[in-house]
Amino acid sequence: MFALIGLAALAVGVVWLVARPSLLAQYHYNQFVIAATHLFVLGWICSVVMGAMYQLVPIALETKLYSETLARWQLGFHVVGFIGMVWMFDDWNMKQLGHFGCVFAVGLGLFVYNIARTLRRVPKWNVTATAVTVALFWISLAVTAGIFIAIGKDNYDSTEGLAASGGVFVTWLRSVAGFMSHFDAIGAMHAHAHLGSVGCFTMLIVGVSYKLIPMFTLSEVQSRHRAAWSIGLLNIGLAGSFMTILLRSSWKPVFTMLAVAGLGIFGWELIAILRARKRRTLDWGIKYFLTAVALLLPVSALAMVLSWPRLPLNPFTGQIENLYGFLGLIGVVSLAIIGMLYKIIPFLVWFGRYSRQIGRVQVPALADLYSARLQAIGYWSYLAGLVVTSVAILYSNEPGVRCGCSLLALSVATLAVNVGAMLTHLFRPLLKPLGFPPTTVAKIA
Amino acid sequence: MNTLPIDEPTILQTLRQVIDPELGCNIVDLGLIYSITITGSNVAVLMTLTTPGCPMHESIRWGVRTALLDLEGVDDAQVEVVWDPPWNAAMMTDFGRRATGVGRI
Repeated sequence: MFALIGLAALAVGVVWLVARPSLLAQYHYNQFVIAATHLFVLGWICSVVMGAMYQLVPIALETKLYSETLARWQLGFHVVGFIGMVWMFDDWNMKQLGHFGCVFAVGLGLFVYNIARTLRRVPKWNVTATAVTVALFWISLAVTAGIFIAIGKDNYDSTEGLAASGGVFVTWLRSVAGFMSHFDAIGAMHAHAHLGSVGCFTMLIVGVSYKLIPMFTLSEVQSRHRAAWSIGLLNIGLAGSFMTILLRSSWKPVFTMLAVAGLGIFGWELIAILRARKRRTLDWGIKYFLTAVALLLPVSALAMVLSWPRLPLNPFTGQIENLYGFLGLIGVVSLAIIGMLYKIIPFLVWFGRYSRQIGRVQVPALADLYSARLQAIGYWSYLAGLVVTSVAILYSNEPGVRCGCSLLALSVATLAVNVGAMLTHLFRPLLKPLGFPPTTVAKIA
Repeated sequence: MNTLPIDEPTILQTLRQVIDPELGCNIVDLGLIYSITITGSNVAVLMTLTTPGCPMHESIRWGVRTALLDLEGVDDAQVEVVWDPPWNAAMMTDFGRRATGVGRI
């Protein structure tokens, strides 16, 4: 359900960009861009990431999910919360945004509690478990910061009577708003965005890579020290970047460099893992994921440029900021998620439909559940879409953004068709009578 | 009660019907079967998986047991998954390597 809701949000988001290319061709500090960003971040990315974590954390860390009931409750809070938030951002109604934000936060609280209790059951602690734990911390902080920003933007005209009668909650809201007035609005928004995008999503990409890439390519982590350093530096860099972005400090480049160094070490280790792999052929799901990781290079370069304190504040800088956000969320995070979806959804469908048939009849392999040709078309159209949109963003060119986002929409359509093909197996399974595969001499390995 | 005699090649051929769905290859050619012990009509299989924490762990184990129990001459089957020695690609047959795209070892 989380994955399907996420895919629906992605489809709506991409169509939104095609219909309204000005979202990317103009500076991002306006209600419509913020609404669209939250649709992608909460509706698409968070939905899939949360659903995937419910599935993958127990598998990757060899334990069981603490509570499926809590996960179902979270789904309700999550959907109501993020749809309401996107709507209220679009309407720029800060009061109702705060209410929907709290609904979303309740769902997030259930999610964090559920995964945290699951992590307590992990038999052997490792770098992936550490990355998941810190990602939970950073996303909690990101949502708290988001709610504080929303509180700071409301004017509390409608609470005069309540405040006079001594409403403790209203007094607290006003004190939070007073506290937030010490920070400039754009700095606070950027700091909040980094907590979510780097602290949670990038951290998870790095952390799960150390488990899933060796698993899918038949390899092993080559240096646990490198893996630990990558997570450590990314965390220090992010913590420092959050404060320096919030306070507009000239120390920003130092912490950006630390985070980029962490990502560099991650890339180094990933290359070592891939060089040691036994499975030479990489499937399209892994290609999507590794391309997303490679996109961390231009995103890191843009981060270094944007962290420079003497960068002139002009419209072109604004477009570089747009490009940074676009490549980070739609390039790195979304492409990585699509790659992992091509692993997760076939597994879930196969597990639900075929796991009790294995040994009795011939069951399909995971790769037989979808079309590799469509995957390839989706991959190349996504890359073309990223390139065209990126150039168009830099030149504030709306027709170019529309053209690039149309290519992204084509890629999303191929994903939707493939997901449909996978889900078809739930109703029309592909079962054949048992037969013996062609092989060599029968002997035990 | 089954009375037909069973032997290792027959069991291996039966287990070739069980695939690792992620790799798209049967578990015998992947080199996942470590030993087979036949005691009368009882079969005990010692096997591994390509990685600890493999999400297909229970499905594959269940599939192996089901395939064995469906075999004429088998009344009971035990399947044990072990991690020592850990699996490596050198345990695969040539067919398994070709089927999974694993390079020569």
